[in-house]
Amino acid sequence: MKALLEVASVTRLFSGVVAVNDVSFSLFRREILGVIGPNGAGKTTLVSLISGTISPTAGDILFESRSITRLSAYRRGRLGIARTFQIMRPFPGLSVLDNVAVGALFGHGGSGRTLANARERAREQLRFVGLGSVLDRRADELGGPARKRLELAKALAMQPKVLLCDEVMAGLNLVEIDEVIDVIRRVRDQGISILVIEHVIKAIKDLSDRLLVLHHGEKIADDKPDAVLSDERVIEAYLGRRRD
Amino acid sequence: MKRLLPILATTVAVVILAAIPWFGSDVLVQFGINTLLLAVLAQGWNIIGGYCGYPSFGNSTFYGLGGYGVGIAMAQWHLPFAIGMCLGAALAVIFAFLLGLPVLRLKGHYFAIATLALAFAMSAIVSNVGIAGQNIGLVLPPLNNDLLFYELSLGLLVVTTLAVFQLTRTRFGFGLIAIRENEEAAAVMGVNTTLYKILAFALSGLFTALAGGIHAYWITFLDPESAFDIGLNVKMMIMAVFGGPGSVLGPVFGAFVLSTVSELLASEVTTVASLFFGVVIVAAVVLMPRGLADLSRRFRAEGWRYLANNIRTYRL
Amino acid sequence: MRVGQADEASEPSCRSNEVTAVTLVAQVLLNGVLLGGLYAIMALGLALVWGVLNIVNLAHGAFIMLGGYLAWYLYSYLSIDPFLGLPITAGVMFALGYGVQRGLLNFIVRAPMFNTLLITFGLDVVITYLAQLLFSADFRTINPSYAGNDIMFGPLIVPQVRLLAFAAAIVLTVGMWLFLLKSRLGRAIRATAQNLVAARLYGVEPRHLYATTFGIGIGLAGTAGALYGAVSQINPYIGAALTAKCFAISIIGGLDNPLGVIVGGIVLGVVESFALLYIGATFGDVASFCVLVAVLIVRPSGLLGRTA
Repeated sequence: MKALLEVASVTRLFSGVVAVNDVSFSLFRREILGVIGPNGAGKTTLVSLISGTISPTAGDILFESRSITRLSAYRRGRLGIARTFQIMRPFPGLSVLDNVAVGALFGHGGSGRTLANARERAREQLRFVGLGSVLDRRADELGGPARKRLELAKALAMQPKVLLCDEVMAGLNLVEIDEVIDVIRRVRDQGISILVIEHVIKAIKDLSDRLLVLHHGEKIADDKPDAVLSDERVIEAYLGRRRD
Repeated sequence: MKRLLPILATTVAVVILAAIPWFGSDVLVQFGINTLLLAVLAQGWNIIGGYCGYPSFGNSTFYGLGGYGVGIAMAQWHLPFAIGMCLGAALAVIFAFLLGLPVLRLKGHYFAIATLALAFAMSAIVSNVGIAGQNIGLVLPPLNNDLLFYELSLGLLVVTTLAVFQLTRTRFGFGLIAIRENEEAAAVMGVNTTLYKILAFALSGLFTALAGGIHAYWITFLDPESAFDIGLNVKMMIMAVFGGPGSVLGPVFGAFVLSTVSELLASEVTTVASLFFGVVIVAAVVLMPRGLADLSRRFRAEGWRYLANNIRTYRL
Repeated sequence: MRVGQADEASEPSCRSNEVTAVTLVAQVLLNGVLLGGLYAIMALGLALVWGVLNIVNLAHGAFIMLGGYLAWYLYSYLSIDPFLGLPITAGVMFALGYGVQRGLLNFIVRAPMFNTLLITFGLDVVITYLAQLLFSADFRTINPSYAGNDIMFGPLIVPQVRLLAFAAAIVLTVGMWLFLLKSRLGRAIRATAQNLVAARLYGVEPRHLYATTFGIGIGLAGTAGALYGAVSQINPYIGAALTAKCFAISIIGGLDNPLGVIVGGIVLGVVESFALLYIGATFGDVASFCVLVAVLIVRPSGLLGRTA
């Protein structure tokens, strides 16, 4: 089965510090791939490399079998790669509706849309994530959990083929986490492949088809959740070496 | 019905403005031409500064280029005014594309300063170019028809404002606003930020240059210092910001109000007018930082507390 | 404001009959460096306020002009030498800056950057026209008895006032750098640039800290004005062009390091001197701004700044 997204031996250096080191993996259609790892493991850097915000020092990234390593961020967005930001980036002066409408206008499904059409689609996405009641509020008036949903709605409005979620569950309580899990599953059911970075291991274990583990910028495991979580190296990365 | 009211009101206003030369004195018509052109400048700046969020100190460059386009075409090559306007516009747009690329990569106040530097340099450069008359400047063939210039200026203002209005209803305008609100997010969501910024810069330059061209022909004289006067750039910025950047009619109101106030004072005591201008700016920035448009919207609801709230939000 | 007319202070002064090419270049270089020192102190206040308080002060040049007039009045009416009177000039201007910050700029500290641009522009307009009303538009120079003296370094000529101005400028700039680095208040000021809460930990009240920093910036501007008045002419309208120059210097040198203005000032001074010699008067300014634009494009954090 051909991979939708392929990351091939990607490395990224920041002034001498290796953030991502020779990482390779694939993302298949209709798949939820979880990405876990201790803080500073390079997870957000990886997402930024895929979305095009930064470019790799070495390696290649392929989307639908074509290399996108040289494409700028906006072109990747139009091809169908959408992301949420861990440190959220709303358009503060715009209404919640218009925030999402930007995605509908400029994303993958965006060419040829009118403003009215885009707003309509934005409305749909906002209802999908559960923000249907705050359409007209200014984006900067929303609280934390609502902002996370807004980030999701903005990405979904782009009609992406690949969705990169960066810690959408951070700071949420158990009920809210279950709601987000439900939304992500429904997104996958629509045919979108999702890469989910998370710290909440229990949530991601049930959600993911596969788990990828990063540590110090390197991939140390890539398998089904049960296999990964019982892997010695993964336990060591999180808890440290056993003293026998 | 609610939609029609503002359109109707604006049309009536335009008709009244167009009729002024038949009722007003010569001085009033001249004041009108100046004010209308300033409004065009404020509106032009609004595109790059208000909607796109890049405060350009370089629009005076476009103004000068427009003026010199007309000046060179008419005084040196003896071509008609219309051709001169096209030349001026072309110069401005080319300039916007050439220099927009490096300069629009800079953020915030660095962009402002780079454009400021360009504006300074232009005056010095042009004063060394032979065909532009160097330091002495150019003298254009006179045309004593204030009525024509008035209606031309009004026409340009209407066109510019319509363009801005149309902008807000297109994908392009939406993209500009997204860039202003959060450029990185806009890029990731598929907005071609580089292209859009340059287009906004060029569009802004186009209208500014046309205003410069009309002004040059009107006063029939052009010299590098006054054509590229940075004070003019600051004036258009203040008018746009005072009136409400990122709104369709705000800059126009800002230009009308500030120009009128300035003129009323000038007829009293000349120096004090400029002084007052400065004081007005200072007071406006403290009390109504989001401009007249925002003031008129929120004053009804909040009254004088609007002013106090602004101070409270932004003070240390 | 006359753009395109090179600063009178940067005209080469070579009178010797036996001028070889090397001597000429050396003289121009020396002029550039001396000018650079003066430029450095002019820009220091702007860079400080910008780097620490994030206030882009478009009225900076106007304050330089005020300092110049203050020194002129001190000399003309009280016979106080401009160099010896520097502490007075600095003190008065510090108080002025403190008052302006506390009484006006304080109100828009948290507003978008653009508002500070506008409000300081308004301030510039007000100060310039008040100056015109009070002082008239005539050019003035401060002419102490030693104004015409030249010192010879071999074949090179150095006007005494310029050397003194240069020395004063360097001493003040380095002193400021040490102050920011070592003293408690200096470190509190630097902390403010990072984080207002951190500044509170130094036990200094934020509003007072802000006002003091701005006051220092204006005090430096005033001092620069006094030095400028000694080497060149002043009138109410020199503010705008000087502000522009100080911007250029601050950006070229970078805002992270106070010593950056020395680098920026000297780069600009030398570029202007050579442009003046080889291309002509009007291109002095153009050359400076070309350097500025080049630096902005290639290395926006300045020559001495930390790369992003």
